Amino acid sequence: MITVSGLTKRYGDRTVVDHVSFDLEPGTVTGFLGPNGAGKTTTMRMMTSLVAPTAGSAVIDGKLYAELPNPGAVVGTLLDASAVHPGRTGRTHLRLLASAVGVPASRVDEVLDMVGLSEAAGRRIGGYSLGMRQRLGIAGALLADPPVLVFDEPANGLDPEGIRWMRDLLRTHAARGGTVLLSSHLLNEVEHTVDRLLVIGEGRIVADGPVATLLAGDGTTVRAVDAPSLAADLAAAGLQVEATADGALVVAGADASQVFAVAAAGGHVLTELRPTERGLEDLFFQLTTAA
Amino acid sequence: MTNTLIDAPRPVVRSTGASVPSLVELEIRKSLSTRSGKSLAAASMLLAPAAAAVAAASSSEPLGSVTGPLGALGMLTGLVLLSLGVLSTAGEWSHRTVQTTYLLVPHRGRVLATKAVAVALMGAVFAAVAAALVAGVLALLVSGVSWAGFGLAFGAVVAAGAAFAVIGAGVGAATANTPAALTGLYLVILGGIPVLRTFKPEIGDKIDPAGATLALAQGQATTQSILILSGWIGVALVAGAVMTRRRQVS
Repeated sequence: MITVSGLTKRYGDRTVVDHVSFDLEPGTVTGFLGPNGAGKTTTMRMMTSLVAPTAGSAVIDGKLYAELPNPGAVVGTLLDASAVHPGRTGRTHLRLLASAVGVPASRVDEVLDMVGLSEAAGRRIGGYSLGMRQRLGIAGALLADPPVLVFDEPANGLDPEGIRWMRDLLRTHAARGGTVLLSSHLLNEVEHTVDRLLVIGEGRIVADGPVATLLAGDGTTVRAVDAPSLAADLAAAGLQVEATADGALVVAGADASQVFAVAAAGGHVLTELRPTERGLEDLFFQLTTAA
Repeated sequence: MTNTLIDAPRPVVRSTGASVPSLVELEIRKSLSTRSGKSLAAASMLLAPAAAAVAAASSSEPLGSVTGPLGALGMLTGLVLLSLGVLSTAGEWSHRTVQTTYLLVPHRGRVLATKAVAVALMGAVFAAVAAALVAGVLALLVSGVSWAGFGLAFGAVVAAGAAFAVIGAGVGAATANTPAALTGLYLVILGGIPVLRTFKPEIGDKIDPAGATLALAQGQATTQSILILSGWIGVALVAGAVMTRRRQVS
C-alpha cells in the first residue's frame, strides 16, 4: 500500500503541490489527472525521492522510497522516456538496469519481447522513435516485475495498438495484485483503464474516488416512443426536463424509479432508462477550472 | 508485443540493494558502454605514447632521465582522464540518465562514492597502460636514456591518472553540466594556474595539479605534490557531494 500524506512542495513563494494526500491500494489502477503544471509530475517525483518535499511524506508499505533496500524491485517507474543515453543500445540500457536491480540478464530479452523491441534492441537509442523510447521505458520498469508501477504519461507516442496493449498490461498487473498509478492527458484512455481517479488542480486534489461515482450525474436519461408527451407528463409532475439533440430526455434531480413511475402512470413505452453520466472531459474541465 | 504477465513466473530479484563492488562495476560498464566513453578511454591510453613517438622521432636532444618525459606525458594522460571523470557525473545530468540512477540507488552520496572509485580504477588502469606504452616507445626510439627512478615515476603517473579522473568526477557532480565542468577545469589548469605561476609563483606552485604530477614523477617535492593532488580531490568531491545532495531531479 502507498500512503501519501500532506505532500507539499514550494519553490520560494510558489506552491506547486499543496497538501496532497491519498492512499493507493493493491489491485487497483488509479488515474492521476490534471492540466499541465497542476503538480502531477512533481508529486510523482516526490513519491520516488527525486525531489525533496517541503512537507509531508509518501511511504510504500510503511517505508520512504529511499529506505527501500532495493527500490527498483518494489516500484517500477516511467517518468521520462527520453531520460536515456542516446549512445547506448536498447539492450545495453536494459542490461545495465538489470544489473542495478538484481535480475538475471535473461530477463532483458523477456521484457524486450513483451514490449515489442526485440528487433530494435541492438540499435542505438538515439535512433528510436518516441513510441520506441516509451516502450523501452516501460520495459525498464517491468524488469523486476515490481508490485507497484508509477507511470507518467505512459501512452505518449504509442499507436492505438500500443495503447490497447498498455491498457491490458496495467489491468493485468492490477489483477495480479499490483498497484498502478498513472498520469495521462488522454482522458478517453484513462476512463477505460482506471478504477479510480485522482484529479489535481493548482497543486491540490480536487476529486478522489471511483470512476463510476465521479462520472455519475445527478439525474436520469430516458428515451420514449412519444418523447414530447412523456416530457409534458414529467414537467407536470414537477420534474425538470431537458431534451437533448439526439432525442433523449434528461431529468435533473430524479432517479430512475421516479421517472419510471411517471412514465408508467401515463402509459408511455420506454426504450431507454439509465442514470445520467458525465463525460470525463466535462468532469476534468469542471474540476480543474474551478480549482 | 505480448502480454504474458498473468501466467508468467515472477523473475528472481535480489531483495537487497546492490553491493558497493557491484555498483562500482556497474559504473565502469556505464562509462564504457558508449562511443564517447570508449573513445576517451582509448585517447587516454594512446595520446601520450603517440606524443612520445612524435617527440622521439623529431628531437635529437639527449633525453637524460626517463622520469621527466614520463611525468610530462602522464600529465597529458591526466588531462584526458579529467574528461572521463566529468562524463561519469555531469554526463548523467546532461542526458538525464541521473533520474534512473537515483531511482535505483536513491542514496546520492553512495552513488558519488562509487562513481569516484570507478573512475579512479579506470584512471589508474588507463594511465598505467599509457605509461607502459610511453616507456616502450622511449625504449625503442631513444638511446642512452637513464631508467633510474622509473618505478617511482610510473607509480606517480598511475596515481595522478586516478586523481585527475576523480577530480573530474567531483567537478562534474558539482556543476551537473558537462561543458561547464570541462571548460572550467581546462581554463583553470591550463590557463589560470600557469598565469598565476608566472606572476605569483609562490601561490601557483602550491595549487598546480599538473606541476605536482611532473614533480612527483621526478621524485621532487613529494609531500607538497601529494598534498596538492589530495587537496584537489577533496575540494572536488566535497563540492560534488554538497551540490548533488541539494539538487532536485526535475
